[in-house]
Amino acid sequence: MAAIGQRVGAVPHHDALARGRLRASLVPDLLIEARRIVSTVIAGWHGRRRRGIGESFWQFRPYVEGETLARIDWRRSARDDHTYVRDQEWEAAHTVWLWLDESPSMLYKSAPATVSKESRGLVLTLAMAELLARSGERVGYPGLQRPITARNGAERLARALATVGSGALPARPSLDDVRRHSEFVLFSDFLDPVEETLGLLQAIADRGARAHLVEVADPAEETFPYRGRTEFEDPETGMRLTAGRAEKWAEAYQFAYMARRETLRDHCRRLGWSYIVNRTDRLASEALVALHTQLSGLLHEGGR
Amino acid sequence: MGAFPAIAFGSPALLAALVLLPAIWWLLRFTPPKPRTEAFPPLRILLSVVRREETPARSPWWLTLLRLAMAALVIVALARPVLNPSPVAIAGSAPVALLVDNSWATARDWDRRRDAALALIDQADQAGAPVAVAFSVAPANADVEIVSAEQARDAFMAAEPQPLNGDRNAAFARLLAALERLGDNARFGLLAVLDDGLARDGEFDGEALQRLAGADAPVERVLWYVSPIDDLRVIANAGNGAEAFDVTLVQAESGGAEPADIGAFDEKGRQIGETTAGFEDGEIAETGFEAPFELRNDYALLRISGQEHAGAVWLIDENSRRRRVGLVSGETGDQALPLLSPLYYITRALSPFADLVEARTGDLARDIAEIIDKRPSVIVMSDIGTLPDDAVAALSTWVDEGGVLVRFAGPRVAAGSAEDPLLPVTLRIGERALGGALSWTEPQPVDAFPAIGPFAGMPAPKDVSVNRQLLAEPDPDLADHTWATLTDGTPLVTGAARGKGTMVFFHVTAEATWSNLPISGSFVEMLRRVLKLARTSTGLSSGQAEAAALAPLRVLNAAGELAPPPAQVKPLPADKTTPDIDNPPGLYGAADGFVALNLMNADVTLAPLSPPQLSVPVTTASYAPPAESDLRGPLFFVAALLFALDMLAVLWMNGLLRSRPSAAARAPVASTLLIAGLALAMLAVPGSARAQDAQPNDAALIEQASITRLAYVKTGIAATDATTEAGLRGLTVFLRSRTAFEPGDPVGVDPATDELSFFPMLYYAIDASGPMPGDEVIARLDAYMQGGGSILFDTRDQLSSGLDGSGSAENQRLREILDGLNIPPLEPVPGDHVLTKAFYLLNDFPGLHVGGPLWVEALNAQQAADRPVRSGDGVSPILITGNDFAGAWAVDDQLKPLLPMTSVDPMQRMYAFRAGVNIVMYMLTGNYKADQVHVPALLERLGQ
Repeated sequence: MAAIGQRVGAVPHHDALARGRLRASLVPDLLIEARRIVSTVIAGWHGRRRRGIGESFWQFRPYVEGETLARIDWRRSARDDHTYVRDQEWEAAHTVWLWLDESPSMLYKSAPATVSKESRGLVLTLAMAELLARSGERVGYPGLQRPITARNGAERLARALATVGSGALPARPSLDDVRRHSEFVLFSDFLDPVEETLGLLQAIADRGARAHLVEVADPAEETFPYRGRTEFEDPETGMRLTAGRAEKWAEAYQFAYMARRETLRDHCRRLGWSYIVNRTDRLASEALVALHTQLSGLLHEGGR
Repeated sequence: MGAFPAIAFGSPALLAALVLLPAIWWLLRFTPPKPRTEAFPPLRILLSVVRREETPARSPWWLTLLRLAMAALVIVALARPVLNPSPVAIAGSAPVALLVDNSWATARDWDRRRDAALALIDQADQAGAPVAVAFSVAPANADVEIVSAEQARDAFMAAEPQPLNGDRNAAFARLLAALERLGDNARFGLLAVLDDGLARDGEFDGEALQRLAGADAPVERVLWYVSPIDDLRVIANAGNGAEAFDVTLVQAESGGAEPADIGAFDEKGRQIGETTAGFEDGEIAETGFEAPFELRNDYALLRISGQEHAGAVWLIDENSRRRRVGLVSGETGDQALPLLSPLYYITRALSPFADLVEARTGDLARDIAEIIDKRPSVIVMSDIGTLPDDAVAALSTWVDEGGVLVRFAGPRVAAGSAEDPLLPVTLRIGERALGGALSWTEPQPVDAFPAIGPFAGMPAPKDVSVNRQLLAEPDPDLADHTWATLTDGTPLVTGAARGKGTMVFFHVTAEATWSNLPISGSFVEMLRRVLKLARTSTGLSSGQAEAAALAPLRVLNAAGELAPPPAQVKPLPADKTTPDIDNPPGLYGAADGFVALNLMNADVTLAPLSPPQLSVPVTTASYAPPAESDLRGPLFFVAALLFALDMLAVLWMNGLLRSRPSAAARAPVASTLLIAGLALAMLAVPGSARAQDAQPNDAALIEQASITRLAYVKTGIAATDATTEAGLRGLTVFLRSRTAFEPGDPVGVDPATDELSFFPMLYYAIDASGPMPGDEVIARLDAYMQGGGSILFDTRDQLSSGLDGSGSAENQRLREILDGLNIPPLEPVPGDHVLTKAFYLLNDFPGLHVGGPLWVEALNAQQAADRPVRSGDGVSPILITGNDFAGAWAVDDQLKPLLPMTSVDPMQRMYAFRAGVNIVMYMLTGNYKADQVHVPALLERLGQ
């Protein structure tokens, strides 16, 4: 009987060279796919004005029903019968940090999933970089790339990821360059103990940045479809656990798994952050759209 | 050789593979049942919720043990293990003596005995020793030679077990005789006793035992084969008892208590009976085949199933079969009315159990000689008073030889001589009437049967009462001969032995005139018990009876099978009852009359034989089990079983047995439903079988039988039938108002289909326009008339032609009908016929028409002319008129006459009714009224 899940990218931690080659071969494809996804996302944004967070006036425009009333310029609107909205000029680019969890636990793909978690995470990271670069945002990668604004931001990030060794990046992102009002997008499976994750989030919050958590989850992790005598092996720690009757554990495991997710989601909700779950058997663009919506809303409103 | 069976290996080298077992153990130990390995990143979450389970790095110990046992079994099985006891070695070239029992008890395991003996002969062959073989069942003049092993083997292969008891002493004496011929100091190197395990009287005593036990025993060593007889069972006795075919089984004292199945087989070998005997009480078990008597008569052979030897078979001969019964009646002329025939009830009672031979001519001397010629066991004589001297002599001889003579009382016996030698008791002259108008006594019921006689133990019949009987002269030994009495102590049945035979006398008639005993169920049982007295037939067919010996018909072999007799079987002398080598058990005689010679007798016991204490060393041995008892099959089977267990265990450990729990749960439900359905079906079967018992028109039959009615034959013409029914209704009303007879409503019957026996009289209005009744209808009418019924034919054509003229259509039709009937001679009703005095005094019998005569059966004119009325026995079965009675009787609902009379006489309709009343009374009372004319004279006599 074939195993439900398998480890993909069988790269040992210490084998930096092999892992680098894997990255190098993987990234171009991912970049192309990321661009394709981004174009579909942008296509949904017709009518978007060149407006943004800034101090100076850009234009008056008629109030469109559905916009928040707080944005109505009452002084201008009082002058005639129309209601106007005051747009500001997009003055300063926003800094968005992207970070992808590169722990071995991401190198996992189960039978129902279409891609491994790392592959999905990389796609999302590069796609986000492409999106933000097109929007003129400053995109950075902690420990790898300082925030820059460049049309080819995604390529540059991909190149940087391909060239750097696997061991070069710390397991936890370094937050030294993170400033206030920047956005921090984390792509991970968040399978580390929840206290560690909360510690990382606390550090981000201490820096005054906002965090957006994208949990890349494999369907097998969520549904626990194992039966019978099964030996589980943790790809990260190498720990083994043999279950005589795996199906007996399913319920308790699912409860603990969901409890972890809800803890993180609650934490983010309290801080006004976002928490997005993307299963690898679903489309990557789903997560991208949700993430973009979160980011754009924040970008458009937060800077006023 | 102990109780441990020896095991030999066909290829013992393979057993060396057993050293591989530790390696297999090592392999198994470190090869756990492979779990599925799954990479699982959220393992730490899983760890937080589950207790860390023991993760076995090796199989459970019991699984390892299972697999090791499996491997060991396969290795051992591959080495071809064979259960094979090592035979006792024969050393030296001194002659070897074999004393072999070939009695009936060895038939079960003769092959094993032969194998053991052949193994000994083989060893003697290798040792170069000569061999002497003596069989315990052998002709008296048999001789034993000490021959080479090769010859002994050939002789032994030709030997077979015999269906007889063996004589080991004689066999041993033959061995010693052979030894003496060899020389004075010769000794047997080995005496092997292959006995059948049965101890017999006089075993090894006398000279033989002394020589064996003495210091100069002619043998050096004795090898004694022990044969257990625990499972040996024989039929010691069997006989046809009163209620069952009784069988007695005997087994050894050490035998088990499990019941034995006994089958009964008929002459063609089909099993027709089965019973079971339980040995709860030890050695002897008694049981019986509870089957109908006639079925038991067909038993030819009993056999204990599972016991294949001659002792388990019991042969049955004619002595247990049905008897031949000769019937003699004094009154041969009354056969036409079956219910009044004196032998009718005896025939009905005996025909299921016996072959009946009836006298034909009516000439007693010839009849009895003829019947005795047919060698009946029982002769039944009904109401025969005085016998011709020849017949008395013949009967006396026949009874002395063992015949059973059963006689019934009657008027002729009552008038016969008091000193009849063929009666068990002396009779008083004249009969005794109980009850009736002129007697104060009541009809007597039957008392409980006395303890003596064949009826002992029968329940006293409650429903029998006796009106008349013959009395016996009081006699000191009358009570000893009385087998049944009435409640006042007078004998009902007496019996006495005479010679080898028995005489039985019933003090009542064989028909139901003196008592209702013959129509009671007890009568059948009593006759059956009387038949039992004739247990032994009086001999075989006459040709063989004088023969000194009976030729063998079929003989039993040791395996208990009947086979054609071998050439050496001699004819059986008449007085010989125990089988021997000349007359083995079997059937002797001719195919239609034979005697069974059985191996066992009633006092047989099965005692185990134990080796005697001798001066020479005695070694005991047991017969070899089947030589090639290959153990490979069982071993491989066990290994496969273990393998299946292993698979199940692995599946269970991997949790795959749980995957479809619902299927497992459904199976018991389905089987339960199936069983319930079967049970319901079985319950339904007897229900439908019971329903078969009821007939569709039972209610109508009960209705017709419960009350006496007038009935008419439907002609098929509606107008005629309506008139007839109206006429009978009018007569019924008239009868109810004028007489004590209150008939039910008249009914029309179709003689083709309806039961006619409920009606005393049928009114048959002839209508020529109706269909002519078929032959079977006429046959039924004839049977009705023979059975005592009467038919009143009415041609209704007196006005048109009258019976004298032959022209009318109805007259023609009547003749056609009467052509098919047995019609007695007819005459017009004479003036002194009882019909004219049955109720009213009538001179003629008018109907709608006047003048036509009424025809009845002609009475014989022998009666005294001076009697006022002529009486005949019975009622005329036929009356014919042309006067159209029914038309005269016919009334409507208001009881007004329907049809006008053809005469002007106003009294004519009343006369017609009176004629009808007389006819009905005549039908119902018969010649009673003829007797009543004597009443004035009787009263005059009594009045004094």
